[in-house]
Amino acid sequence: MDEFQEILQDFLVESFELVEKLDEDLVELESNPEDLELLNGIFRVAHTVKGASSFLNFDVLTHLTHHMEDVLNRARHGELTITPDVMDVILESVDLMKQLLEQIRDTSSDAGIDVSACVARLDKITGGSGEVETPEAAAPIEEAEVVEEAPQEDAAEDEDEIDYENMSPEEIEAEIERLLQQRQEEDRKKREAKIAAGEKVPEMPKEEDSQEESAKKEEKKEEPKKAAPAPTPKPAASSANSSAPKDDAKAAAPARKAPTQVEQTIRVDVKRLDHLMNLIGELVLAKNRLIKINDDVEERYEGEEFLEELNQVVSIVSLVTTDLQIAVMKTRMLPIGKVFNKFPRMIRDLSRELNKKIELVISGEETELDKSIVEEIGDPLVHIIRNSCDHGIEPPEERIAKGKPEVGTISLKAYNEGNQIVIQIDDDGKGLDPEMLKQKSLEKGIITEKEAETMSDKEAFALIFKPGFSTAAQVTNVSGRGVGMDVVKTNIEKLNGIIDIDSEVGKGTSIKLKIPLTLAIIQALLVGVQEEHYAIPLASVLETVRISKDEIYTVEGKNVMRLRDDVLSLVHIGDIFEVERILDANEHAYVVVLGLGTSKLGLIVDTLVGQEEIVIKSLGDYLKGIEGIAGATIRGDGGVTLIVDVVALMDIAKNVKASALSEEQNGAANKEKTKPSDYVIMIVDDSKTDRTIMRKALEPMGVTLVEAGDGQEALNILKSGDYNFDAMLIDIEMPRMDGYTLASEIKKYNRYKNLPLIAVTSRTSKSDRMRGVESGMVEYITKPYSADYLASVVQRNVNFKSEFL
Amino acid sequence: MSDKLKDIISKQSEQQDSSVVEHLDDVVQLVGFIIGDEEYAVPILSIQEIIKPFTWTRVPQVPPYVLGVFNLRGAVIPLIDLRLKFGLPPKKQSEDTRFIVMRHGDDVAGFVIDRLTMAIRIKKDNIGPAPDTVIGDDTIIEGVGKQADKIITILKVDKLLKRDF
Repeated sequence: MDEFQEILQDFLVESFELVEKLDEDLVELESNPEDLELLNGIFRVAHTVKGASSFLNFDVLTHLTHHMEDVLNRARHGELTITPDVMDVILESVDLMKQLLEQIRDTSSDAGIDVSACVARLDKITGGSGEVETPEAAAPIEEAEVVEEAPQEDAAEDEDEIDYENMSPEEIEAEIERLLQQRQEEDRKKREAKIAAGEKVPEMPKEEDSQEESAKKEEKKEEPKKAAPAPTPKPAASSANSSAPKDDAKAAAPARKAPTQVEQTIRVDVKRLDHLMNLIGELVLAKNRLIKINDDVEERYEGEEFLEELNQVVSIVSLVTTDLQIAVMKTRMLPIGKVFNKFPRMIRDLSRELNKKIELVISGEETELDKSIVEEIGDPLVHIIRNSCDHGIEPPEERIAKGKPEVGTISLKAYNEGNQIVIQIDDDGKGLDPEMLKQKSLEKGIITEKEAETMSDKEAFALIFKPGFSTAAQVTNVSGRGVGMDVVKTNIEKLNGIIDIDSEVGKGTSIKLKIPLTLAIIQALLVGVQEEHYAIPLASVLETVRISKDEIYTVEGKNVMRLRDDVLSLVHIGDIFEVERILDANEHAYVVVLGLGTSKLGLIVDTLVGQEEIVIKSLGDYLKGIEGIAGATIRGDGGVTLIVDVVALMDIAKNVKASALSEEQNGAANKEKTKPSDYVIMIVDDSKTDRTIMRKALEPMGVTLVEAGDGQEALNILKSGDYNFDAMLIDIEMPRMDGYTLASEIKKYNRYKNLPLIAVTSRTSKSDRMRGVESGMVEYITKPYSADYLASVVQRNVNFKSEFL
Repeated sequence: MSDKLKDIISKQSEQQDSSVVEHLDDVVQLVGFIIGDEEYAVPILSIQEIIKPFTWTRVPQVPPYVLGVFNLRGAVIPLIDLRLKFGLPPKKQSEDTRFIVMRHGDDVAGFVIDRLTMAIRIKKDNIGPAPDTVIGDDTIIEGVGKQADKIITILKVDKLLKRDF
């Protein structure tokens, strides 16, 4: 009974929707009676409702809709003009239909409403006889026909060839033949019966329908029960509402009351969901920001009472945001069966075309995926399955010769694995031969001989995804153009997915597509290089290791390191993203081990920032297709951080030559000095007077002088790169940033390593001097000083050429 | 009587319509700005907003004139330095530097300009075609606006927003 209730619910949801639409359409039809499109649409509604209701044994409803259908059919074929009178009757019947549907909804039965008057009027229009048929009298004949027909329709619509796998082509052929005959026989009898009954129902269209249907109906005849579970043409809607309405329906049925219905499902425009998802994305960003602020506040006001309260609020907000995100994500989920459904038919057609025997086994079709992914996944799967049929499965004779079962099997599986969904396509065909793949690629110039030699089997399998690659000797209808698998790769990568191929010659091939559950929000590892940050999708991160420089070896111009028993090739993120090495590299570096399928790569970064939930935003049309960048995200501080495209990164890494980690970079200051003003010196002091004194002392030399009021300003001037300084005079006590801090900041930069920093201060104690040296100052001048002394110290430190004196 | 009235009303509204159209057709509203020594302008309707400079994030593998991307209230938008794009030497951003966010269809980008001048109303008749030497499909010059004391180069926003690398 459960199953029936489920079907009933679907039927009602669908019917009410259709009827609602019908009202609008009919009204429009009246003012526009020539509109064939509209008329066809209306006819289809009546037809659908009739089909479904007869299937569910609602005889009265079937009876009514059947007659409506007749009228509309005649109008459709131009045998009847829609006059207002005719329209009145049609509208009346639509109203009746609504009443019946409501009745069914409330009582699960359509008994108790008299439709005979209306049916009579409908009949009058079609036949002109005006003979009043009672539903009871009509039922036997009508039922016999429609009950027969409707399920076939449903089956034809939704359950396309469920059973082909279990039948050999010959059997199917025979079955079709048999059913066709049987059907024609029935039709003929029915026609005769009707003619006998004096009915003048136009037969032709129905005849056509039934011909079509009969061609498809073997599965229904074979297993009528299988057709039953899913008669709705909208699997998406049904899956979304299947559980809740079922319960409600059961609860409602015994009550037999409460005519004011509660809608069980709402159809929502996808745009609204997308908008909702975007808003959630914004919320997640705001949440990240809140957490960051909370951390800052915690640090500053440690031990304060309000902190606990703040903490609570922040964690609640964060918790609710996460739940909300999951809830919204779920509304966007569709079962992957929606995509899988079309494959049995495809396999059937392909096996005919290729003269092979292939069986398709589907499992896990209830696995759910984000809508946008479900939409994108169809094409790649089509290509992979076509490929398996064409290149994988051998012709029957060959299979028998090899001692394999005659019928080849392709299995299509979907399942969840952590945060990912895996779609696995296995075949028991001839498998991929790595040597052959390499050979073909060499011929086509896709790889070089050297690459072919060093290539692992896995890498060789991946060759099938290269554009232009094809093993087919000639282009067939099915494949061979060398495009399909390239499409697979592009589409899967677009979804941030991973492709994993395994194959054994003679045994078969297994392709795994690993796809993230959702596209919009991911977990990422944030890394820093110099002053930039990048986000790496956590799904691709296997581990992180801290290493010292000595552990990096160079092999054939590439950096490698030992990771336990493996040799891991390394690439510096700065080399890939053209990061300028301004800051001095540390003695230690971090290696983020990235994994994609079976290939691994170590990415050297300067710092690890942490793990964060990030919202992926596109870089837009203008910047799309930048190698190695998958998108961008907005961080808690409002800044933009780029997201690393691990797949592309692995590709790029192969071509990046290692730059030595501690590359010697001489400051650009070493240009030949031709005049005194080529020397540039910065004076950093918060006192205007002191700056003037220094200026006065140095001006006679003719050097260029730049002033800064404090450490921060000095650092900004330095960073801007407007000048190449030869020396800096730095006061120690300054607001915002003092001299020591400034000196140590400057010394962090590679290019300023050799920039002489001269402290000019009134602090004279030994410890002050020590601190000065520690922070990187080369000279220590105490105030007051003589102008000559200052000038001479500066001259000495900038190697002032004597000819300028 | 009522027919006459209708006639009159419809005539009136026709006139109004056409005069509005004429008015719109006649004058173009532009926003002028300076890059280097030249004054340029773009149609005011293609400008989404004008903002003061703030930090952006560098993007690798792009020409130097694409500075990177920045966050405009949650949207990630490319930032293009028009000085560099026009082959001028780079210049430090100053007090007057602005980002002009332009939109054409779905394409949005921010452009760094040296200084804003003003909103300009200019008659269509006073806009000449781009000089012969730069006419072609690739030109980003829409036309040249003549004013009493100077001429202004009017840029094609759709071309500015088109990726050309």
